[in-house]
Amino acid sequence: MNENLLTVSTSPHKLGGMSVRSMYLEYIIALAPALLVGLYYFGFPALITVLLTVASAAVSEFVASLIKKKPSNLSNLHVLCMGLMLGMILPPGAPWWLPIIGGALTVLLGMSIFGGLGAYPMNPVLVAWVALYISWPESMNAFLEPQALGTGDEWSEAETLLMQLKGDVSTFEMVELGALWLGNVAGFIGSTSAWALLVGGVYLLIRRIIPWQIPVGAVLGAIGMALLAAYTDPSILELGYEEFGANMNIVWFHLGAGGFMIAAFFLGPEPVTSPVTPWGTFLFGVGIGLMTIIVRTWGGLVDGAFYGVLLMNAVTPLLDRIRPKVIGKVVSGA
Amino acid sequence: MKLSNLFKGIRLPRPPAAAPPVDLPAPERVYLPLRQHRGAVAEAQVKPGDQVAIGQVVGASEEFESAAVQATVSGVVESIVQTVDPAGQKVPTVVIKNDGADTWVADTAEALADPAGAKASRPSRLLKRLRESGLVRAQVEGRPLHVDLSPPMAPQSYLYMTGIPVVRPVDTLIVNAVDPDPPVCPNLSCLTQVGEELAVGVAALARISGAKRVILALPAGGDASALAAMAGQHEWETASVSQTAYPFATDNLLVSALTGRQVPTPYGEPKDVGVVLMPLISALDVGRVLISGRPVIDRVFTVAGEVKNPQTFRVRLGTPIRDVIEAAGGGPSRPGKIIVGGPMMGLAIFDPATPVTRSTEGVLVQSAGNVVSYADHPCIHCGRCVAACPVNLIPSELGKLCEFRMYEEAAEMNLMNCIECGCCAYVCPAKRPMVHFLRHGKTEVLAGRME
Repeated sequence: MNENLLTVSTSPHKLGGMSVRSMYLEYIIALAPALLVGLYYFGFPALITVLLTVASAAVSEFVASLIKKKPSNLSNLHVLCMGLMLGMILPPGAPWWLPIIGGALTVLLGMSIFGGLGAYPMNPVLVAWVALYISWPESMNAFLEPQALGTGDEWSEAETLLMQLKGDVSTFEMVELGALWLGNVAGFIGSTSAWALLVGGVYLLIRRIIPWQIPVGAVLGAIGMALLAAYTDPSILELGYEEFGANMNIVWFHLGAGGFMIAAFFLGPEPVTSPVTPWGTFLFGVGIGLMTIIVRTWGGLVDGAFYGVLLMNAVTPLLDRIRPKVIGKVVSGA
Repeated sequence: MKLSNLFKGIRLPRPPAAAPPVDLPAPERVYLPLRQHRGAVAEAQVKPGDQVAIGQVVGASEEFESAAVQATVSGVVESIVQTVDPAGQKVPTVVIKNDGADTWVADTAEALADPAGAKASRPSRLLKRLRESGLVRAQVEGRPLHVDLSPPMAPQSYLYMTGIPVVRPVDTLIVNAVDPDPPVCPNLSCLTQVGEELAVGVAALARISGAKRVILALPAGGDASALAAMAGQHEWETASVSQTAYPFATDNLLVSALTGRQVPTPYGEPKDVGVVLMPLISALDVGRVLISGRPVIDRVFTVAGEVKNPQTFRVRLGTPIRDVIEAAGGGPSRPGKIIVGGPMMGLAIFDPATPVTRSTEGVLVQSAGNVVSYADHPCIHCGRCVAACPVNLIPSELGKLCEFRMYEEAAEMNLMNCIECGCCAYVCPAKRPMVHFLRHGKTEVLAGRME
């Protein structure tokens, strides 16, 4: 037998080099700036929360793989990335058990029971987040006042801007947009800094990890809906803005506040649960933007970004039916 | 390039600058498969022991979709054996032992010196000359040129089969000097070597097909000054086509980019929308046949990939690919794949003794360590294949359907319109064998419809 037998296989004989692991590695790299800003402002408690979430998710995956008697998926970084994302949308003052339960829920309730990577219908991070929010609303609202690293002051509890917005529509006027976009406000660990998330998101876009339609659609949807609200909602009209610029401040506020940025650039474009067709992805993004503003302005919940993503996840199979026209297909009778 | 194409397909590395083809001496034995094209097998016209001269017909067929095969060395027919062609089909092959004398058979056809002669000749006469010369389109699974240039034999049933409403008369000839699947670049290496034969070839092709408009598709960044000068002289149009944007230099998509017409798939071809598309090397061959009155006995053949000196040769037809790789400095110590055609659409062969034929344009050699492996990972629904697919399919979904044997459902989602360019498999992070799934699905659908 000739030992130098040639391999025969179907084309292509060359691959692009992207793997699931490298894809999620890029995700983690892109999340890093926002995470670092979060750790800068919320310090040690935030670090512990994030580490516990990631560790819990990893252990859960390991246990789940033992139960399923299948090789564990840990090496492709998917589970770690999911754990990291959940850690970034937990409040910095969360009790120690909250991230542990959250990490386990992400993997077990969000992914494993559906069959793991590629099979789950809804973003596992948000499934876990909603489960935590429904079960322990007080712990999920344990926000801290941000302070720069190393100041060593006592941590004090705080209210997020969106919570204030529920009580008082004129919160827009009191906020300094610069500080809001920089992340120097109370909020979830990794989602306060819109600039850092934007940097990471643009990195993902440049590396073509996420489709551009989702963030663009989300931003457009949010801008459109925020302006609509500004020009029609009686309580905002009462504030008496006449200039377009003042209304645009409302838009900037909404884009920078709460979980919108992380939803538009990271949670929404999560590959498994987002649509694949060009128009489907765009509408998916628009839906996230619309839901965010609708819930914030008129809804009973504090922030709509995460619910928007979950809702659009449910619509994904429908959006995937909006297919582009196939090139070369003969339309009979034409 | 169309703007929308910027987001479609994939980007391949720019092919290295190509030197003009180097003549390779005739081998000791040539292996001439009696089918070097898509179509019917030719019947052997010689017996073992016969003395043959260069240009003597060793295989011919009454079938229309068949090309004559000529001896490419002078010598003795040793045997007629079964070999396996790159596509995996068994084919009878005439083996001729070279006597080194290089004697030509007596010329039969008169030479045709200039483009004016081609323009004056009757199309049917030119077509007959091409048919006698056995020219085959220089492309993997290429068809005989005379078939490519003739209108369908039975227009009614052809229209019914393809589902297109009407066949347009041909009005455009595109000569494609761009290699769709780099780094296998025979066209690129011929760019500077064009002369009278191109003028004659193009004039004849335009005359046969009836095309009024001639477009030269030139590689962007390649040294195309010689071609551009000729184009100016002969009133041909030129278009610059990117060499790195794959698969937009493949036939159907190039036609669409240059003329705005969509070639119907899966059964249609550029001819149906009034365009004849010819690789540069085939157009040159047509010119050579008409000028010399002799059949073409060699082939521009690129050896790329992991060989010592990747380069383009002018090789006698029937030379074993192994010999050409040796001439390029030899392959890797542990060979992995030898691919006839380029990395994206080529066919991997199992036998390095497979001969160079009229429809092979080059090989890509890979060492065992660099052979890609696919995985049985589930689809992660990331949508990269959808973003890459140049014909707007949803490969992820088709792949899943074919994997789970739901072939008819896949066919309803336009599986048959897939052009098998391989972009989906190239970008897939889960490394799913997408082209394998889709090809398998297509054959199953066809088999199902046959029943």
